[in-house]
This record gives sequence, structure tokens and C-alpha cells, in this order.
Amino acid sequence: MTKFIILVALVVAACALTAAAGDETPSVLVSRQLAESARLHVGDTVTIAADAAGKGGKTFRVAGIYEPTPDPMKFTARRIEARMHLPDLLDVTGARPNADTPDAVDALNVRLADPDDARAFGAAVMSRAPSISARSTARAEDGSDPFAVLDRFHFAIAIVTVFGSTAFLLALMVMRAEERRETVGIIRLIGISQRSILLEVLVEGLLIATAGAIFGVLFALATQGAINRFFQWRYDTALVFVRVTARIALESVALAVPLGIAAGLVGSWTLLRRDVVALVRR
Amino acid sequence: MTPAAAPLIEGRDLTRQFPMAAGAVTALNHASIRIEAAEYVAITGPSGCGKSTLLHLLGCVDQPSSGSLTFEGRDVARLNETERSRIRLTRIGFVFQRFFLLPMLTAWENVELPQAEAGVSRSERRSRTRELLEYVGLADRLDHRPSQLSGGEMQRVAIARALANRPALLLADEPTGELDEITGDQIADLFDRVHADGTAIVVVTHNATVAARAGRRLAMKSGRIVEG
Amino acid sequence: MTAWGLAWRTVISNPARAVLAMIGVAVIGALLFNMLLLSRGMLVSFRDLLDSAGYDIRVTGQGSALHRVPIADATSLADAIRQLPGVQQVALIRTDDASAFVAGRDRSPVIIAFVGTTANAVGSAWDLVKGASLQEHPIPSDPPEIIVNVNLAQEFHLEPGSELRLRISAPGSASAMPPVTYRVAGIGNARFESVDEYAATTTLAGFDAAHGGEGHDAAEIVLIASRPGVSASENVAAIDRLRPGLRAMSNDQVLEQFNEHAFTYFRQISTVLSALTLAFAFLLVATLLTISVNQRLGEVAALRALGFSRRRIATNLLCESALLVGVGGLTALPLGGVLAIWLDRILRHMPGVPERIHFFVFEPRTVVLHAALMAATGILAALYPIWLAARLPIAATLRSEIVS
Repeated sequence: MTKFIILVALVVAACALTAAAGDETPSVLVSRQLAESARLHVGDTVTIAADAAGKGGKTFRVAGIYEPTPDPMKFTARRIEARMHLPDLLDVTGARPNADTPDAVDALNVRLADPDDARAFGAAVMSRAPSISARSTARAEDGSDPFAVLDRFHFAIAIVTVFGSTAFLLALMVMRAEERRETVGIIRLIGISQRSILLEVLVEGLLIATAGAIFGVLFALATQGAINRFFQWRYDTALVFVRVTARIALESVALAVPLGIAAGLVGSWTLLRRDVVALVRR
Repeated sequence: MTPAAAPLIEGRDLTRQFPMAAGAVTALNHASIRIEAAEYVAITGPSGCGKSTLLHLLGCVDQPSSGSLTFEGRDVARLNETERSRIRLTRIGFVFQRFFLLPMLTAWENVELPQAEAGVSRSERRSRTRELLEYVGLADRLDHRPSQLSGGEMQRVAIARALANRPALLLADEPTGELDEITGDQIADLFDRVHADGTAIVVVTHNATVAARAGRRLAMKSGRIVEG
Repeated sequence: MTAWGLAWRTVISNPARAVLAMIGVAVIGALLFNMLLLSRGMLVSFRDLLDSAGYDIRVTGQGSALHRVPIADATSLADAIRQLPGVQQVALIRTDDASAFVAGRDRSPVIIAFVGTTANAVGSAWDLVKGASLQEHPIPSDPPEIIVNVNLAQEFHLEPGSELRLRISAPGSASAMPPVTYRVAGIGNARFESVDEYAATTTLAGFDAAHGGEGHDAAEIVLIASRPGVSASENVAAIDRLRPGLRAMSNDQVLEQFNEHAFTYFRQISTVLSALTLAFAFLLVATLLTISVNQRLGEVAALRALGFSRRRIATNLLCESALLVGVGGLTALPLGGVLAIWLDRILRHMPGVPERIHFFVFEPRTVVLHAALMAATGILAALYPIWLAARLPIAATLRSEIVS
């Protein structure tokens, strides 16, 4: 059963809510989620009440359906919401401004000509009106905002993952080197230097590591789509949860390639420092 | 007049074909062979004539494309893989050109391994393993790993391993292929002893000395037994 | 030699490979362990926090997350609830934002979470480190008493007996309340405070003093403790009947809501990362074992020729996998514990999260689940190499080994 959980009053563009000339039913915009769950269409008439039993309800005409701006802070909430003019909201909720404060609101959003002035503006407002709290919407620079915390969390997991994969990579390189023990021994027997062999290993490692890193990025792009689709379906939101940016891709490649090369060199070095005879002996 | 004893192993009209991209290759072409108990047979022939293929069929390691094979009177084609494994474990011993000892086990452990698999008791395994390693002349190399043994010593360990469960038949595929002449002669001497003790031996070899020690020689050419 | 013995010898025959593989499994296993802890950690921790306060029912007014209406006639409601047979204790909570400062000190005011409550609620909501709790019946002429949290005390160098001035921040109001002076009775840690939060608690009278002495007889939250043997749901139903317009929720219901909303992101992340970790571990162990089998095809073929059955070969490989995953998995537990402390420290800086909430909470069932998942991964990872080894054509393999 659908529950109307939030009525949000915002001043919206007049043209979006202006009814046709002569139509006195006030307009309302409903979220896509609300429209889907209540099977609403543009032009439908709905009753909205603050009371769960429907007392004091007011009739509105659905003027439009909108996709709520994805809000990471409440992505788990079902965006069952509607937008209407402020006087209509006051009518519906029965909240009446008093004589001293004829038009009272809970919050004001301010767009500055220069966003960099936000802090100074906020400080100036608070000094003039001590009971007002003015905050910039920009992320806090002290790293305390939730996304900075999650960023550090995911980075920590990435570090751990890199450690684990490095260990496995080294194990595989050691095995690969062992596989080539006899071949390397024969090459050394016929006079090829350790330096030349290491150079070959370096080039091979570079090619394989680069190919592997690029494949990894492509795989990440593919799983990015899958993860986003899953979470967008799960939470019925347009929010993007995972984004592989160019910077992330470059950082991944920049980390993977040297790791791959280093692992190959380490694996081969354990072989090359052994005696040539021991290498060819079965 | 007493009835003839059943052969240890008998193959009739054995053919083995290997499908290849360029067309099937017939490695063995209607070959028939009969090995009696305690017989010593050498199979010789040029490379690619089907010697090893025949040996693999006799050892129940491979199955013929056509023809029949019986081991101790049992039709091998009617046996499932578990039964064939059991025959290989307890009735047949295999010696390979490349020894195929387990590198992480000592000589002692390599010889003990098939006995443990066959369910032999610990005390019996211990005495049998010691006996075998003394038999092949390696009593002082019990705790050495294959990497610490020479080629000849490794092959002797492999022979001891093959004899671990007292097989009726010992199959050897080019046992001296990777050894020098003197060491090869030592292996040939060992085979003589094994044969003298009652084990049937079929050896595939290029080595004339080893072939000369056999009681019967079979020559192969182009997948067929042409002589013997 | 048993399958375990042979597997052990095979694994340690190449010590570098074995150690590296086990380290890899340990690290990935530690990450998996952490994700399993995360899947319920916050919930378990929050439950402990709720239960530790000593109240099992919370009553709030109707409204939305943006605007919750305070409960009017709170005193009479509290009295009525106290009369219910299943109720042992009732406490009222009022909350507001305030700016705090010390007179004569050159420090900017800070915004604090300001709470007014009945004294018995204070005792269960605070762990005092200095001073005393609020008096039940304070002398009216004294400055009202207040308990401040350690952050606030450190900010203004407060000690028991210090004075602190508070000015209420009333949103939407055109008037500014005058600041009121309070005397610090005690310093402690509030159960529900978040890491960087400033908080203070006073009595209801003290709270009214900050609002200009106007006793609104309202409360944001009413806390109820049920009598032993009485279920919270019974009392919730009784309170619903008493005052139908309110929202009464037991701790279980609060947890359910928390689980569905606040906690769901971490649960999802835990699921996704657990799945990825397991897939990673599977892939890597399978790759290691497959390469290992491919390097030993001759050995495997020889063993098969010597009479070792497919089952025996498969058992050997399973034992090898079990050793790699088992040793790595065991090592993963203490490593995971250390990792959990680090990750927990990061996540607890999330704004608004009570400092006492932990994201990674140890439960014995997590160890069992971890072991089961690692075991399943080890078995699955061995399947392909087992298939390779069991199916390999003996004769052809022997031939190709000789040729190569």
C-alpha cells in the first residue's frame, strides 16, 4: 500500500504549474516513482491530504511527472513525492503563518553569482541573523563529509586488494619462471647473458602487463554498467553508483603495469641467480 | 596330454588409430601378440613403428580401436576404468624412459607409494621397500630425492617402484633411452634378475644389449609385427 | 602415503610458490571476512547501543523526516504511559540546536546538540568521566546544571563547576533567544554522540530555561522501559491505543527501519564485495592449481599408468586446494581482525553516526560462514584442474612428455 511520506513545498517555475486559463484546480508535479506506484498520468486529478485518513484533503491536477534529482544521502528512500506551490502546501498541511511571520519557510536555497563566495556569504548572513544557520552546499574540505569517508574506505579496500593480487601474481610468475627453467638454462649455456634474458623478460612483462591492465579497465567498464544497473533497479533511482573515470583508468594502468613488470622480473631473477648446470639438470 | 596354460596376456588383431587433422594415423595395424607367464620379450623397430603404442595397449593404459586383449583371461575391453587401474596397480609394473619419479618424494617414498595405494600394511610396506631398494642396489640412497640421483639410479628406483606390488608383468618403454651404455648394461642386468625371479617382462628398446637378453624378440614395422 | 601427505609434499616442494599463494589467499580471505563482518556489524552494534540505554520503546510525534511534530502534553502522556501495567519507566527527551560559548573567552561559539531530559534518562545516556550527573531536584536559584561531552569540554577547557552559555537556535523564528548560563555538573561521553559532535544535556527545567522559561510541555521523544517479562510489542500496542496519533516503536522496529534504510547501503556493499572477493579467490586458486597440474602432466600420467585411480588423483588435487585455501583462510582471520580495526576507524568518521557504533562486529557465526565460503571456493577452484587431470589421456600424455 502506497504511503505518502513526504510533501515537499518548493517554488517551481510558474510555467510548469500554471493551469490553462480558466481552470481553477491547482497543479501539482509528481515524482516518477509516485506516478508509477499510483498509476498517475498527466491530467489526472488527485487528492492530497496531510492526514492519513484523508481529512482536509485538497484536489490537484497532475501537471507533470518529474524524475527526482538523485540524492546520495537518501538513495534508499522511495521518492514518493510531489511538488506544489507553497500556499497550496500550507493549505494542505493546515499550517498557517502567524501575524508576525506572514510567510515562514523551513529553508531557503540561494544561488550566488560566484559560488566561491559561499562561506563568506554564510558567515555574513549568520552575523546579521543569529538564529539563522547558513551552510555552503559544497563538500566540506576537512574530509568529514560522508563521501570523503566512503572514498577513504574504498581506497583502503583497494590497497588490500592490490596486496592480495600482488601475492598471487608473484606466485604465478614464480611458477612461470620454473616452467622455463630448462629453456633458460639452455639459453645461458649457449652464451646469452643474464642481462639479455632480463631484457626479454622486461619487454614480455611490459606487453603482458599493459594488455592485462587494459583488459582490466575494460572489464571494470563492463562491470560498472552491471553494478549501476543493479543498484538503480534495486533502489529505483537514477543515481550513478560506480563511475570509471579517465583518471581512475589511468591510475589503475599506472599501478598495474609496473606491478606486472616487477613481478615478472622477480620471478625470473629467482631463476637467473641459480647455477646454469642446475637449470638444465632434470 | 595337459591343456596349454592360458597366456598371461594376449592381444588379437589389435589396431590403434589416432585421429589427426590431416587424416587418421594407424599406429598399430592388426597386430597379434601373446605373452606367457615369466616370459622375457623384447620389441624392436624403427621410430614410429608402433612399439610404444603396443606397450600401452598391453599395459591397459590405452584401448585398441579394434581387436581384443585379454589379461590373465579377462577381457580388458569389458573392464571399467577402476578395474583397469587396479590391474595396473597390482598386476602390471611400468618403467618409463623418463623415469617419472615424483620429485618431491625420496627414493624410499617413491617405492612405497604404490604399496600404500594398494592397501599394503605399514610394516609390510617398510620391509618390502627396503628389500626392493637393496635389490636394485640403492640401500644407501633411501632418503635421497630424484634430483640427488644419477640417471641410472633414478631408473633403478623406477624399477623398484614398478616391482613394489609384485606384478606378474613388467612393461618397460625404452628403459635405457636416456642412459649411457654402461648404465644401460646395469639396467639390463637388473632385468635379468627380475626375469629370473619369475616376473614376465616386455621391453621396448633400441638397445641391442637389452634386446639380446630377451628370450624372444619381436620386430615391428609400420604398425605390424613382422618378425618373432 | 595418504592423499594429505602427498598433497602437503607437493605444496611445499616449491616453498616460494606455496607461501605466496597462501599469502594471497590470506589477504583476500581477510577482505572477505571483513565484508562478512560489515554485513551485520552496524546492525549488531546499533542493537547493542539501543539496548544499553535501558529503554526498549521510543515514541515520537507524527511527521516526516524533514519535519517531525513534537509530542504535545508530554507530561500527561508520560503519566498515562507510566500507569500501563507493562511499563517500568518513562523518560522525556527534548532536543534542539544551540550555540555554545564561554563568556569572556575569545573563541567562536560552536553549534551543539542540546538535550533536555528527565534525570533517569541522563544516567542511561551518558558515561561520565568527570564530575557528577544531574541532580534530581536542583535548587531553583542555581544556574541550571548541564552535562557536556568530552569534545565540548576540550573545546572550551571546561571542568565540573565551569560555566557555559547557551543560546537556542530556533529555525524559522524571527526572534533571538538570550543566552542562558549553565553550570557544568559533569563531563562524559553520550551514547549516541557522533565523532566530532558537540553535545550537552540538562534537565527539562534547564531546557525550558534556554527557551525563555516557557514550559511548552512537549517532547521530541518519549522513552519507555518495559517491565521484565513484558514484551515491547505489547506495550507498543497499548501506547498506540492510548494516543493513536503518535509513532511508538520497539527497539526491534527501530532496528528494522534502520536495517531497511540507513544500513542498506553497507549491506549491499558487503554483498557485492563479498561476491567479488570470492570470485577473485576462486579465479586465482583455480589458475594456480591448473598451472600446477599442467606442469605435472607427466607425473600425473605416470601415476595413472602405475595404477592410481582417477578418484585418487582427484583427491590429491582437492587436498592441495584445501591446504592452500585452508592455511590461507586460517591466517585470514587474525589478519581480517586487524584490517577490521583499520576500516572501522575510517567508517566511524561518517558524520551523524554515533561514535559507539561499530561497522565491523565480531560474531562467531561469521567465522563459520567464512570457513564455509572458503571451503566451497577451494572445492570449486579444484574442479577444473581435477577434470584436467582425471581426463588426461595417459598414453598420449606419456608420449608427448617423452617427445618434449
